[in-house]
Amino acid sequence: MNKNTGLSVNHLPVLTWNHIGINEAQFPETELAEVEFDACYEKSGFGKEIAEIFDNIETGMGAEAVAFTMNHCTNPIFIRVKEGEKKVIEPLKYTFADGAKVCDVTYILAEKNSEVSVFQSYISEDDTASYHAGLTKIVALEGAKVTLIQTQLLNDSSLHSNDLGIKIEDSAKVELVQAELGAKMDYVGCMALLSGYCAEFAADTIYYGDEKRKTDLNFIARHTGKKTVSNMKAKGALFGETDKVYRGTIDFINGCKKAKGDESEETLIFSDKARNRTIPLILCDEEDVVGNHAATIGRINENRMFYLMSRGLSENEVKELVVRASYESVLSRITDEEIRSKVDSYLERRMIIE
Amino acid sequence: MSELLRVENVHALADDKQILNGLNLEIKKGETHVIMGPNGAGKSTLDSVIMGNPQYKVTEGKVFFEGEDITALKADARARKGIFLSFQTPEEVPGVTLEDFLRVCRRNMTGQPLKVFAFRKELKALMDDLDMDPSYASRYLNVGFSGGEKKKSEILQMLVLQPKLAMLDETDSGLDVDAVRVVSKGIKKFKNEDNSLLIITHNARILENLDIDKVHILYNGRIIKTAGPELIEEVNTNGFANIIGKED
Amino acid sequence: MASSKDKVSEVNQSIYDFRYAENASYKTDSGLTEDIVRQISKEKHDPDWMLDFRLKSLEIYNSMTIPEWGPPIDGLHMEDIVTYIKPNTDMKGKWDEVPDDIKDTFEKLGIPQAERESLAGVGAQYDSEVVYHNVKKEVEEQGVIYTDMESALTGEYSDIVKEHFMKLVPPTDHKFAALHGAVWSGGSFVYVPAGVHVDIPLQSYFRLNAAGAGQFEHTLIVVEPGAYLHFIEGCSAPKYNVANLHAGCVELFVGDGARLRYSTIENWSKNMYNLNTKRATVGKDGIMEWVSGSFGSHTSYLYPMTILKGDNSKMEFTGITFAGKGQQLDTGDKVVHIGKNTSSHISTKSISKDGGECVYRGEVIITENAANSRSSVNCDSLMLDSISRSDTIPAMDIRNATSDVGHEAKIGRISDEAVFYLMSRGMSEEDAKSMIVSGFAEPVAKELPLEYAVEMNNLIKLEMDTRD
Repeated sequence: MNKNTGLSVNHLPVLTWNHIGINEAQFPETELAEVEFDACYEKSGFGKEIAEIFDNIETGMGAEAVAFTMNHCTNPIFIRVKEGEKKVIEPLKYTFADGAKVCDVTYILAEKNSEVSVFQSYISEDDTASYHAGLTKIVALEGAKVTLIQTQLLNDSSLHSNDLGIKIEDSAKVELVQAELGAKMDYVGCMALLSGYCAEFAADTIYYGDEKRKTDLNFIARHTGKKTVSNMKAKGALFGETDKVYRGTIDFINGCKKAKGDESEETLIFSDKARNRTIPLILCDEEDVVGNHAATIGRINENRMFYLMSRGLSENEVKELVVRASYESVLSRITDEEIRSKVDSYLERRMIIE
Repeated sequence: MSELLRVENVHALADDKQILNGLNLEIKKGETHVIMGPNGAGKSTLDSVIMGNPQYKVTEGKVFFEGEDITALKADARARKGIFLSFQTPEEVPGVTLEDFLRVCRRNMTGQPLKVFAFRKELKALMDDLDMDPSYASRYLNVGFSGGEKKKSEILQMLVLQPKLAMLDETDSGLDVDAVRVVSKGIKKFKNEDNSLLIITHNARILENLDIDKVHILYNGRIIKTAGPELIEEVNTNGFANIIGKED
Repeated sequence: MASSKDKVSEVNQSIYDFRYAENASYKTDSGLTEDIVRQISKEKHDPDWMLDFRLKSLEIYNSMTIPEWGPPIDGLHMEDIVTYIKPNTDMKGKWDEVPDDIKDTFEKLGIPQAERESLAGVGAQYDSEVVYHNVKKEVEEQGVIYTDMESALTGEYSDIVKEHFMKLVPPTDHKFAALHGAVWSGGSFVYVPAGVHVDIPLQSYFRLNAAGAGQFEHTLIVVEPGAYLHFIEGCSAPKYNVANLHAGCVELFVGDGARLRYSTIENWSKNMYNLNTKRATVGKDGIMEWVSGSFGSHTSYLYPMTILKGDNSKMEFTGITFAGKGQQLDTGDKVVHIGKNTSSHISTKSISKDGGECVYRGEVIITENAANSRSSVNCDSLMLDSISRSDTIPAMDIRNATSDVGHEAKIGRISDEAVFYLMSRGMSEEDAKSMIVSGFAEPVAKELPLEYAVEMNNLIKLEMDTRD
């Protein structure tokens, strides 16, 4: 790690040509008080065995980001749902003003056959440059179901990193829903390890880029268990001079018989100065699997455009309609009215289709 | 000998689930048998087991063909002995044309090299009989074929391979009235006094023009009733309830 | 002409992948010295500019590092290779030393004896020389130039050659392009005048000869506006070389409204490192078609690249890669859209078996000015067992708002149901799998001339044979 370039994050699981510039990314550090994370941990009541599982979970952004966030943690949160319990956690709403700096670490442990729903939001309340580094680790034990919904609406001068590491055991399911719409640098990394028999992982992420903002995403579904199922979707719209990178990896490790992995990306580009880089990877070491990925990037499909215009919509109205439609699967999951209306007005204010 | 197929006390599993529970069946040369039964009873499993599909495990019992125990034989060996299965949902095999495929199959069965033009002529005649568009010969096997065309493709294969025992699995489903008539004609053309048919069907349309010898009701993985062709009418009128009721 | 060259070099910096060694004091490896390069140049009677070019390339070679992505190439023994590059070395090996499995394959593919010796780098030029001369005569009447690279350097076309030589693939591209620039030898030069439609495919196979056995051959093809050519490189027979490096270079210049089809079946022997660089540039309304079958070599790095420079230009790529035991084949393609309304269509298939490793590595770049461009990429991978590997690493870099890019990739195994279906028609399990794999490869086979398609199918059947 170079102090000048920042933390090395979002590594592509296998290297490719350097000139494309996506083998990894750099995220700046910031000045914050150092913290002994273990001390916070003791209060969690998770116990040593569980603590070890959490420690060993790899994340999408990587070790340097994890180390930084933990060593400067400002908000440690431990959520434990006991066997058979069903819980909806009180929304974790983080607001940023006066140049606030937040490093939140959220550990979610869903025990056998439990169900838990967690909501996190990161929203700017003024125009000052804030810093957010978030780390969320999820352990879903046998038969558990975890739903995590995240919304990010930071302002144009703020930096945001959202790192996730997930371990899914036998017959457990984890669902991740993300609206990553703001920030000067919007960096997201997610690694889901499907180690249990019939483990399932679904991710639905929407992003929005405009002005000179940067979006850098790294999603990895690693299958080691048999009959595991993953489905990762990413959809977004690019305007202005934004620069966006999406890395999506389905990694079939030898032994994960009958696993199924799906990955899709839909990017609509509205500006000639925007730049989109997409690298959908499939790594495979196991014969008895099915892997699929699909990416569509660029302008709206001509047939669709014609069909909608033939119903009386102008070209620009069609564009807006199509973007909204692609965002709907995520936006409809934001049930908190306050947050939802903030998202709606953000998009209405900024997304100007000309 | 007149015995062609004998299924003796066969128990079989599919995906670790017990489907056949001690099934017995005997088909003689030249006979036409019909199997009916409610869904899930094991009809398709029976066909698959006779054909030797490795996804179905025979845990007990044996299958004999022309007196020989074929229980351990692989599917291709059984095919070469003269067993044929018309699949309910035939596989699509991209990159292999229907004509090339049939030529390879015919050559496998007879062990003799094939004259390209003679075969092509024969194939065209057969396709005409089945009202099949001749362009299908150069299309990839079953790729993009409609349900009806796939069924015709199966019957075409049967006519080319001339098996001793042809098992037809729901061959009439998905076909319109005209197609059923044509396929039925094809089956009748195939049938002679030396070969046998085992037909799984839900309704009697496909059975027109055929002389049925025996009708079996399959329920819970076993044959619970065997009778003559009149059983078909009875099932079509009253359903399976009565017959099964006596069984429970 | 000058401005279009600028555009290419402008793209150069951002698309070519190279690394310079950070430390200036390094040891020149493996005895590839300036002297040797001078000797080579002298033996070939190079014009002065070519000698300078070779020396400059050597410098670049020594200052560059080996790429850190991609399969390892530690098995490359440069010392041995250098010995074979030296002029006046007897480059011919001995037939006794040719591995048995190579000889076996010759046998199975029905290759005539004289050809076998040539392919194994042990014999002199063989009869195909005659065929070559006949073809040459026929196309000469159309004004087509089809000759070897060395003669082209000094003959009447030397200006055309000088103008194009290693401009598309400069020595700075990567370490082995630099090596190529220093020690290249042999290869074909083809020039098709404007508007000429060459009816018969030209084949590099005709030009195979023992010396160097095509290790560092340079192929340069210029298709002038409105012309058409189909060029076929390689053959299905395994090519064996004791000196186990193939660092060839292919440069294709497709003029406005011209069309070039470049077909290859590569089956380098399983000890070879195939680090090949192929690149095409296409003018306005031009069409470039690649058909590629990669079967052999121990390790391959092969990414044919197309630069769609002119408006409305098009590229189509159909390829198949089959990695068997002990093979690491890293192949794919690259395309850069520069002109407006350009389109690229890529379809690749890969098969991994017996521990083989296939990597599809691709890149589609749509630059800012390439308005209204389209690109579709389709990768299909077949795994035949659980000891093999198959990775798909495609990258898309899109820099405008008016283009349409689609990408699809699938990975899976031969379906049990399909095998059972074929077996139920009397085919053995092995034959059934072989038929399915041939069917899988069919979209590539049908792009090849019949004899090559048959050869390719035979190759696949051979590879599918269960053997150790």
